[in-house]
Amino acid sequence: MLRTEEILSTIDMLHAEHLDVRSVTLALNLDDCAAPSIDHVCRKVRQKILARASRLVEICDRVGAKYGIPVINKRLAISPAATLLAGHGRGAAVRLAQSLDTAAGECGVDFVGGFTALVHKGTGAGDDVVIRALPEVLSQTSRVCASVNVASRKAGINMDAVHLMGHTLLDIAAATADRQGFGCAKLCIFANIPEDNPFMAGAYMGAGEPEATVNIGVSGPGVVGSALRRRLATDAKLTLGDLAEEIKITSFRVTRVGELIGREVAAELGLAFGIVDLSLAPTPTVGDSVGEILKLLGIGQVGAPGSTAAVAMLNDAVKKGGLFASSSVGGLSGAFIPVSEDATLAEAVAGGHLVLEKLEAMTSVCSVGLDMIALPGDTPPETLAALIADEMAIGVINDKTMAVRLIPVPGAKAGDVVDFGGLFGKAPVMAVRNAGASKAFVHFGGRIPAPLQSLGN
Amino acid sequence: MPQSQHAYVLDVMAEDHPGIVASVSQAVESLGGNIDSCSQTVLGGYFTLIMIVSLPEHIPPNELAERVRTAEGANRPYQVLVHPWKPHAGSAVPEPTDRFVITAFGQDQPGIVRRFSQYLASKDINIVDLYGHREAEEFVLIGQVEVPKRWDIRMMQADLEDLGRDLGFTVKLQHENVFVATNQLRFARSA
Repeated sequence: MLRTEEILSTIDMLHAEHLDVRSVTLALNLDDCAAPSIDHVCRKVRQKILARASRLVEICDRVGAKYGIPVINKRLAISPAATLLAGHGRGAAVRLAQSLDTAAGECGVDFVGGFTALVHKGTGAGDDVVIRALPEVLSQTSRVCASVNVASRKAGINMDAVHLMGHTLLDIAAATADRQGFGCAKLCIFANIPEDNPFMAGAYMGAGEPEATVNIGVSGPGVVGSALRRRLATDAKLTLGDLAEEIKITSFRVTRVGELIGREVAAELGLAFGIVDLSLAPTPTVGDSVGEILKLLGIGQVGAPGSTAAVAMLNDAVKKGGLFASSSVGGLSGAFIPVSEDATLAEAVAGGHLVLEKLEAMTSVCSVGLDMIALPGDTPPETLAALIADEMAIGVINDKTMAVRLIPVPGAKAGDVVDFGGLFGKAPVMAVRNAGASKAFVHFGGRIPAPLQSLGN
Repeated sequence: MPQSQHAYVLDVMAEDHPGIVASVSQAVESLGGNIDSCSQTVLGGYFTLIMIVSLPEHIPPNELAERVRTAEGANRPYQVLVHPWKPHAGSAVPEPTDRFVITAFGQDQPGIVRRFSQYLASKDINIVDLYGHREAEEFVLIGQVEVPKRWDIRMMQADLEDLGRDLGFTVKLQHENVFVATNQLRFARSA
């Protein structure tokens, strides 16, 4: 029999603090949809997606209702589109993206990730098609999300790909200039991309995964914030160790909710359960903010000295709580600091407290990278590439995932405010110091060799 | 199940104080009896205990009750009821059910428990544990219930939310596994 206190504390977490499952992501291998004709490829892709995913939304809603926990987003992640597009051209890539977009819409899912190229050591024919099609794909579809892995601990950093991505970002921004460069918000540039990440825009199904599986993304900055607030209100003599423990316990409970729902959804779909990814993914809603957690940890202004240490502690406590809660933890599992999606972070940028360089330091200890950063539209492509390279270097040397989403907003200057709407939020355009000064470095091209740590075998 | 054929249901109520269980169990032991199962609760300063006890030979229920009332250490009055224990006469094949938790929060007023419990009874839902508490003006009601699998949970949730709206209450009906998963170390397999 459950104890009353257990029921009451869970009720607090679920209802007063608005815990939800952020995403149920059905990952699907589409390699068997390859065919010489792109029409045939698209037909097979649509059939396979509808066969596997047409019940996803209904099942998520039913299971969510049973436990009283809403599943906010239902999504698809496919095996890399580059595999299907080898031997085809850019036009075929756009056709495939449109088919994915339509099939996802027919299933009622809001995003389909996996328009992906893995180029950390070199670029294959299909990868090149994917990258060069990105401006059209991301401007002509609404649900398709893309990712490009340009670095890994084992391979180092493919600087030719990094350079190309600098130009590609500007091309995507130009293609979506009427939406303030929003296309770039649907593209993640990675180091050490995880094969089972359920969060967009970087979700895809990697090699070694089953034919189809269900991965769960749970979030809950609001829940962690409330737990800290309650603890701080009732206990006068707390150390950072006590606060880390509180975050860990809360993370444990949140992860459990995700696994419960994920296992049941997977069972109803007749699929294997994949992983649960507890990542504190903020939304623009007040209270659902990682920045607010940092403030509760005593950082008066996000970006002040101590911010990096606070993020490190938060990220570590989240991972530990998640790890103990489930034997199937994966994805990114940590804290996200996407500027436009977090009202407190955006406010810190607007107030001049949080600058790009400090954010970069904070990304060295969080679970992603420079994420949802609006930049001036005239930022040179080499400078965008160099920003990406810096982040990739942090990921490669520290053996961590880096996921970069930079949005050079056409026509915007530092300090302008851009609003991407909905969950993507709004933020000031951040100043880039020393723009243009990295040109020669980027133009060397080639590959930054894999670090010493890659020889760990 | 009781150990012997001479089994009794023993119900004790008293003002709460240390030593009640000690004196009741002393009385059972003095008759050569054994406690097969027991459960107690304390509410508002009052103690209540229910026990199934097995005795070596038949004894009139009133006599057992009197033994407990006058047990050593029973220095305050106990209200004691005793019935011969009989196996539960349920249907041969019980209807399959799932365990849910109903929670209701709102401004206290007469009739809350009645309205919710009448609804549950009308759906053949058995309440296996009930907790209600008033704090200032707010009343919290938590019921652990067995819901027949034939019902559509979303319809019942809609009914209960509607009932709650009439009373100004927030009502939730959730499968118990979400509470198990978030509070206990071992993972609850989904039902």
